[in-house]
Formats: sequence, C-alpha cells, structure tokens
Amino acid sequence: MNASSQTWIVVADDPAVSGLVVAARILSAEVTAVVAGRRATAESVVAAGVDRVLWLGEPAEGTPVEAYAPDVARTVAAGAPGAVLGSSEGAGRVMLGAIAALLQAPGLSGVTALERDGNQIGVTRSVFGGIAERRDLVTGGTAVIALAGGEISDPTGLAVPVEEVTANALTTGRLTGLRPKEKAPVNLRAARTVVAVGRGLKAKDDLALITDLADAIGGELACSRPLAEGVHWIAKDRNIGISGQQIAPELYVAIGISGQLQHMVGVRDADVIVAVNSDKDALIFKQCDYGIVGDLYTVVPALTAALAAKP
Amino acid sequence: MTIVVAYKWAPNPQDAAVRSEGTVDFTRAKSTISEYDPVAFELARRVADSTGAQVVGVTVGDASIDTSLARKAALSRGLDRLVIVADDRLVGADSTRLAAVLATVVRRIGDVDLVLAGESSVDVTEGQVAMTLAGQLGWLGLNAVSSVSASDGGYAVERDVPSGTVSMVVTGPAVLATTADAVLPRVPGMKDILGAAKKPVEVLSLDALDVPSAQVTLTTLSTSRPAAGNRQRVIIDGSDPTAAAAELVGALRAAKVL
Ligand SMILES: Cc1cc2nc3c(=O)[nH]c(=O)nc-3n(C[C@H](O)[C@H](O)[C@H](O)COP(=O)(O)OP(=O)(O)OC[C@H]3O[C@@H](n4cnc5c(N)ncnc54)[C@H](O)[C@@H]3O)c2cc1C
Ligand SMILES: Nc1ncnc2c1ncn2[C@@H]1O[C@H](COP(=O)(O)O)[C@@H](O)[C@H]1O
Repeated sequence: MNASSQTWIVVADDPAVSGLVVAARILSAEVTAVVAGRRATAESVVAAGVDRVLWLGEPAEGTPVEAYAPDVARTVAAGAPGAVLGSSEGAGRVMLGAIAALLQAPGLSGVTALERDGNQIGVTRSVFGGIAERRDLVTGGTAVIALAGGEISDPTGLAVPVEEVTANALTTGRLTGLRPKEKAPVNLRAARTVVAVGRGLKAKDDLALITDLADAIGGELACSRPLAEGVHWIAKDRNIGISGQQIAPELYVAIGISGQLQHMVGVRDADVIVAVNSDKDALIFKQCDYGIVGDLYTVVPALTAALAAKP
Repeated sequence: MTIVVAYKWAPNPQDAAVRSEGTVDFTRAKSTISEYDPVAFELARRVADSTGAQVVGVTVGDASIDTSLARKAALSRGLDRLVIVADDRLVGADSTRLAAVLATVVRRIGDVDLVLAGESSVDVTEGQVAMTLAGQLGWLGLNAVSSVSASDGGYAVERDVPSGTVSMVVTGPAVLATTADAVLPRVPGMKDILGAAKKPVEVLSLDALDVPSAQVTLTTLSTSRPAAGNRQRVIIDGSDPTAAAAELVGALRAAKVL
C-alpha cells in the first residue's frame, strides 16, 4: 500500500484528544479524525482543531463503541494515511488493533518521539516495560501508533463540518448498564507531592498513618498495584506504574514499596524520590535520592511529627 | 463449544540485562506464564464448567516457549488441551504478527465463541495482542473485562472502566482481555500438575498456517539504554526513627523540596 503524507487520528468516543492532535501535527500539517461514538464527541474533536472530521454516526441505543472497530479500520484503510494515532487506553486499543490487523502493520506503543523523514515516519519508543529505547523507521505503509489521548481541548481555530460516514457496527455486544464510581477520578499528574504506599502496609486500617503523612506534607495519596488491585485498599486510579499513572511530581515518597521496574517507570521523571523500606537491600534504595532503612510503622509517624515541627 | 485462552510464556524484564548500547539480554531471565494470564485461565474454566465447553490454551512464540515445564505450567491451570506454535521465525514478533498467527490457530480450532486473554504481558506490557486478534478475526474486542458468565444466548460481561462498571451482553464471538484482578486464579496442586502430563498438546507448524504476511515493516535505526536518572542515594539508618526523620526533613528543606 502506498501511504500518503497525511496523519489521521482515531477517536473511540473519548473527547480527550489534545495529545493525539499535538502528536499528529508533528507529522503532518493536515490532520483528519475518524470518530466513533456520539455526535457530541465528534463536535469536541472539531473544537480540538483538526482539519477534517469523519464521524461514523450516532450509535444505536446499547451499542458499545468497540463495535465500530471494523468500520474505523475500513475508513482508515481507505484513506491510507502515512500514520494513524489512537489512544493507548481502553477502546483506543481496540480501534488500533482492528487497524493494525487490516493493514498488517505493527502497532507501536510506548512512543517517546515521532519524526517525519520525507515520506517515512520515525518512531522512538521505550520497550520491555521501559528498560530500553528503540528508534525505528516505518516502511511499506501506515505507522499505527498508540499514545496517551491527552486532555479535552478548549475550542481553537476554524470549525470544520462533521462529515458523516456510513457504518455497519458489529451487533454482537449490547450495553445493559453502568454503575458509576463513587469517587471522581483523581488527577495525580497535577500534584506537586505524592505519597505512595505498597505492600509493606499490613492492614487497611494502618492507611491512616500514610494519609496523616500525606496531609502533613501536603501531598496526594498513591500506591503500588497490589494495594489497588490485590486488596482494593486504595482506588485503582491512584496506582503508579506502567499499568497506572505516570507522574512527574517534585517529590515522590515511596513507603513499603520494593521498587520493581513496573512501578518505578511511573515515577522516572520525579524530581526527588524518597523511600522508606525495612529491607536495606530493597531495589528502591538504588533508585531514590533519600532513603530511610526502617520500619514504616515507626518511621512514618516520626516523619509526620518532624514535618509538624517548625524548621 | 470451545473457549480459547491466549497466554504467553515470557520473562520479566526486571530480570533482563540491558547492554550499554541498549540491546536487551533475556538469557538470565526465566520465563513463566505471564503474570496476569492465569486470571484468564481461571475465568475460562469457571465459564466452561457452567456451560460444558472445553478450554483450549493457545500460545505462539519462538522455539523456546515449547518446553515440558512450560506445557505443564499451562495445563495444570484448568485447561483441557493446548495448542502451540513455536518457531524461531517468531523471535521478537510484534503484536500484529502474534495476533495474525493466533487468529489462524483460533480459526483452525473451529467452534470457538470466546477468546480470553490477560490484561497485558509481563515482557511487552502493551495490552494490544488480544485486541489486534479481535481485529484479525473481525470479532468484538473488549478489554478491562472484570467478569464473564454464561447467560441466555451468550455471555454477561462486566467491564471496569474509568467511569465505573459497565455491564454488557455478548451474543456473538468475542475476544475479551481481563483486568489483572478479575478473579483470584487457583494455585495448581499436585493433582493438577500430575494431571497436566496426560492432557493433549498439539504443536502446529507455522508453515501449515495461512498467516497473512506483514505489509508494513520496521527497521531499527538505533537502540539505547535510558539514563538511569542520577539519583543521590543518600541512605539514612532508621533504627532511631526520630533522628532519621529529622535528618530527612532537614535534607529536604535544605534542598528546597519542602
Ligand atoms: C504487566 C505488569 C504490570 C504491572 N504494573 C504495575 C503498576 O502499574 N504499578 C505497580 O506498582 N506495580 C505493577 N506491577 C507489579 C510489580 O511488578 C510489583 O509486583 C509491585 O509493584 C510490587 O508492589 P510493592 O512494592 O508494594 O510490593 P512488594 O514488592 O511486595 O514490596 C513490599 C516492600 O515493603 C517492604 N516492607 C515490608 N514491611 C515493611 C515495613 N514494616 N516497613 C517498611 N517497609 C516494609 C518490603 O521490604 C518490600 O520491599 C506490574 C506487573 C506486571 C507483570
Ligand atoms: N505470544 C502470545 N501468544 C498467546 N497469547 C499472547 C501472546 N502475547 C500476548 N498474548 C495475550 O495477549 C495479552 C496481552 O499481551 P500484550 O499485548 O503483549 O500486553 C496477554 O496477556 C496474553 O493473554
């Protein structure tokens, strides 16, 4: 297939596309969006400042956005863009998977830099959970790229019309209900200080120790994955790591966290990392700025007290 | 009916060595069933026990994934049989290649109405292969699946998404990638391990499968090792917690972090 110099983005009913648009503009002056989902989402994508919006039409009641993946793939394949960008979260993966399969093109994740070299796309990405980086040239067709979607944009530029494209969504899945989360999602990326706790904590009731410290230091609470998904002591959106949030606070305090790769990639860009761990050989002591070797049950209350004391 | 579980035999990059020029050496990292794939085994078994379906494990990769240890590790986790494609032409295969091979295997098995997969693999961690497999098969693909059970004419599915828990009914063939904590997988006992040796294993040759060829290729221009980050590594003895806390808070204040 002869891919053009255009860049397309695919949107799975999620209006938070600023990251996709910014990345697409690195590769091409003109950006086309294919939007599956509600008309309101297509309108938000217009507002995010793309040059053309192809919308697959209002979903019938109960149709999940994932049912449009084959339509999204066919629409993208017909346009034969040089690159197509989609969200690495949720239904974004389904859209990218359908596109990658139809085009028989590798899906590229963990992208840290994109460049255009004539009619070819260069992609730098971190691989194997972030232990190494690789720069590849994509040849023979479309570069299929997964990225963080970004935020919802304020309206910019000229409003282009929403062009409706006929779709033929799969009918094998039907939505029957939604139980909303009790708490609104937290934005840990906005926090200057984050205090995270791991499996060193022995009981859910002991969380008070950690929240007291977080309050004293003026930080948000976070955790390693086992605390969010093994025991459910802390909400999943506070999990730091490759499957959770990647953050860059000024100060990150890791308490009772061993420092394994999948967690630490989430705080690689923190300015200062502090660790409290009872095991002097814990991996995290090689990856921190300050570490206290000790029992969190005595060290954390002492830290909270020391913060309360005037300098 | 058949439920396929796509699972990976893979090493943890935590145990790999990264050479200074950025290439990765996995020789000292031992492979296991990828961390979250047992969740898919367990879910598949529970659904199959309620419907009478059989559970077939499918894994594809390079020649090293087919060992007796690897077979037993999979077969002791509730599978009825195993289908393996192990070929060194798949060394370093990308998610689309793996999905293309998996799709031909699923089609060949025939009466499959459900493919279950893990959240993401331990070595690649992209959460992509299963969704590309759905694309390849033209089936509905859903990720973040926290529950699956048989219901009238199909499956009742729950998904854990940022806004909450979505419930769905799936009435046609689908590929479902589970959450990491959808169920607690059973730990294989002695009986399961002994029973594993008696279960059928089919090894398919890559040449016997009609796998579409890659249209887009990657040429690696360079590799690198990410900067380890110049952390100061000031380690304080916490045996006197009050003194240690004062020292740390003092240091953070001096560094103007507090
Ligand atoms: C595909 C994949 C994705 C993953 N994604 C993530 C992710 O996004 N985020 C994540 O966090 N993990 C993730 N993981 C899991 C990760 O590999 C680790 O298993 C996890 O981070 C370990 O959590 P932990 O450090 O809290 O627990 P452990 O490794 O069990 O460490 C607990 C630590 O607490 C210390 N400790 C015990 N008692 C005390 C005490 N009284 N006082 C002080 N210290 C004490 C121990 O010395 C130990 O170092 C992922 C794994 C895989 C395979
Ligand atoms: N080589 C493979 N063979 C079979 N299933 C796989 C393979 N690679 C990945 N999978 C499945 O796809 C899931 C996601 O993998 P990944 O996209 O690599 O994160 C895994 O948890 C497995 O269930």
